[in-house]
Amino acid sequence: MPKKINLDMASVEPREQRLGTIIAWDGNSEELHEQSAYELRGQKERGKKGCGGNCRLCELSGPFTQGAVCSEQMVECQAGNVRDAVLIQHSPIGCGGGQVEYNAIYRNGLAMRGYKVENIRIINTNLKESDMVFGAADKLRRSIDDAWERYKPQAIFVASSCATGIIGEDIESITDEKEAELGIPVVPLACEGFRSKHWSTGFDATQHGILRQIVRRNPQKKQEDLVNVINLWGSDVFTPLLKNLNLRVNYVVDLASVEELAQMSEAAATVGFCYTLSSYLATALEQHFGVPEVKAPMPYGFAGTDAWLRELARVTHREALVEPFIQAEHERVKPRVEELKKKLQGVKGFVATGSAYAHGLIQVMRELGIEVDGSLTFHHDPVYDSGDTKEDSLGYLNQHYGKVSNFHVSNRQQYQLYAFLQQVKPDFLLIRHNGLAPLASRLGIPAAPLGDEHIAVGYDGMINLGETILEILAHKKFHDDIRKHVKLPYKQWWLKQKDAYILAKHPELIDDDAAEEYSTEERVEVGAHA
Amino acid sequence: MANESLRQIAIYGKGGIGKSTTTQNLTAGLTELGKHVMVVGCDPKADSTRLLLGGLAQKTVLDTLRDEGEDVELDSILKEGFGGTRCVESGGPEPGVGCAGRGIITSIGLLERLGAYTDDLDYVFYDVLGDVVCGGFAMPIREGKAKEIYIVASGEMMSLYAANNISKGIARYAKKGGVRLGGIICNSRNVDREIELLRAFAKELGTQLIHFVPRDNIVQHAEINKKTVIEYKPDAHQADEYRQLAQSIEDNENFVIPTPMTQERLEEILLEYGLMDNVEDDYRI
Repeated sequence: MPKKINLDMASVEPREQRLGTIIAWDGNSEELHEQSAYELRGQKERGKKGCGGNCRLCELSGPFTQGAVCSEQMVECQAGNVRDAVLIQHSPIGCGGGQVEYNAIYRNGLAMRGYKVENIRIINTNLKESDMVFGAADKLRRSIDDAWERYKPQAIFVASSCATGIIGEDIESITDEKEAELGIPVVPLACEGFRSKHWSTGFDATQHGILRQIVRRNPQKKQEDLVNVINLWGSDVFTPLLKNLNLRVNYVVDLASVEELAQMSEAAATVGFCYTLSSYLATALEQHFGVPEVKAPMPYGFAGTDAWLRELARVTHREALVEPFIQAEHERVKPRVEELKKKLQGVKGFVATGSAYAHGLIQVMRELGIEVDGSLTFHHDPVYDSGDTKEDSLGYLNQHYGKVSNFHVSNRQQYQLYAFLQQVKPDFLLIRHNGLAPLASRLGIPAAPLGDEHIAVGYDGMINLGETILEILAHKKFHDDIRKHVKLPYKQWWLKQKDAYILAKHPELIDDDAAEEYSTEERVEVGAHA
Repeated sequence: MANESLRQIAIYGKGGIGKSTTTQNLTAGLTELGKHVMVVGCDPKADSTRLLLGGLAQKTVLDTLRDEGEDVELDSILKEGFGGTRCVESGGPEPGVGCAGRGIITSIGLLERLGAYTDDLDYVFYDVLGDVVCGGFAMPIREGKAKEIYIVASGEMMSLYAANNISKGIARYAKKGGVRLGGIICNSRNVDREIELLRAFAKELGTQLIHFVPRDNIVQHAEINKKTVIEYKPDAHQADEYRQLAQSIEDNENFVIPTPMTQERLEEILLEYGLMDNVEDDYRI
């Protein structure tokens, strides 16, 4: 039996400790799956070393990094996106630097879902030098009071920071005190950046706090047609999809209300669109609240969506409805998918997104007949929290859609992406996070910024994604023009470098004068080399 | 710092060993030699300058910073004590909150900014909390501040353990900067063969026993009266002991990178000088 998620601890257990998460690896997708040893890891009690000596997953570790995200930012874009709550960042003001970006995303999300568009409600306690020395308990109390007076929220989240983590600020006792005083959940979230090497621990930190203090314990009623859908801020594709099974959607955590979070324990099942995001919350809801998690391949492509729907129907006792629906959907979308396949024949794509989500996108691309021989994921979880092999998304991709020859784990490293793209020379890229698409454009490769992460979900997802890809391919000439007129910041040494992980394998190179010296004369026009 | 003749000295040692008492008495001795001395207390308890100032008369740097903001005047945190000593207390948070180590970093930074290190100073002493639990408490020996360290110890086992540990820290910083160990000051607890033990211990560390301060109740009396012994009873024998310590420090040219010992070697020395026998055989209460 896998280890049960521990909700007694105030702080979430970081992802690498629970799941063995890595952030750099190079090989093909079958090798990664083999080394991940999902099944063995899923069976063992986590926290214990070793699993039969067969699941050593070697992480590459280099001396240089070019892009990063903090766990705290994932708290901003989850807890900060609960519609009637307030998030307080108990941190120096620099941690609030992301508020602008997350406000834009939040407003877009509200608009896409038809909610009133308003600003994100994040307050920063603006810790300064003397706060570090004396602690800032009173400042936090005051911020909680301010949040209450200004917004009368249904819950207040308090995110920790590296600064408060180091000085051992006792956030918990203040949130306890304020929760009793205000009569709403006041939820501390432990998301110090140094606790985890990967930002996805921030998802787990938010979910941990919600599970501990907001989800209703021992609910009086059950809502047998309600399904928790763990999502971000994508368009509402799940409501029409689940309607066919007479199921209603409870979107969490983003864009939910506090009551919608509380009622998660009343739902008939929990699903997600990406196990990276949903793993912790869905597993804990099953283990601690008896809400079954739908353990199935993710809903991407025909096979994945079929299997996902069947399992959802089984868990919610709607078997009779599902087969006719699947059949009808196949009939409905197949002609369009066939058309798209013809148009996309001979096209090669590259995926650069979060981990499990990339597995899903590759499935859809292959359904559309697109060649995918290269991809990067920002991290890799060798196993998910449930430990159930039915959730082994990488295994499912390999088994049903074949291996990906160049499967990189690369934590938003632009310089590495350059080398990856030289290797496989794709016609387009699928990208969700910022920072990578500009490089692709400079290489003359159009990139689809998948701002709506639900675009590829389900049967319609294949059509949506196919059409999006056709659209971006139409920008090819524009990107060729960009390529001809821009220069890359790399010197000859890197432009010719075949191994994107050379710095991890030979860290001494970073001190090598030959490699380090940088002169503008050595910048090369891409047009001359690509 | 511009003043090249300035000697900055950090005093370390196990908690309760008598660092503050020793520092204040020896600085009183240095003022008698005509030296200009500043004492910086680096303990959140802020009691490092009590004997020089005749009581806890000092508002700490950090309290001032908190109450008055960044716009602090040097006069409000630097008070003149016995013999013209300039006394500063870093201060710190209440026990159990905030970060005292960061407090030391903050207050030493402020002292530098406010120009507390004037050219006429001969000595700056940093009296540091007994346990160097984090980077902040090592601040006085970082970044070209204190280059000389004296460790206060006694013949008691735990104080020697602590002194050996502190030496490890000094050795680490010595590799990066110019910090050196100037010697061990024994603040006697009247344990058997104490002076021999301390000499052997100092030798093993590659340093010297710079002075053996005998135990004398007059120190207690002076403390109750909020004075150093030199001020309280200038003609007492103990006052001369502190004067000798001051002179030894003034004359000291023996500065080393210490060679801390292993736990096993430390225990061997303790055994050799009968300390362990004592522990085992002496059942008197």
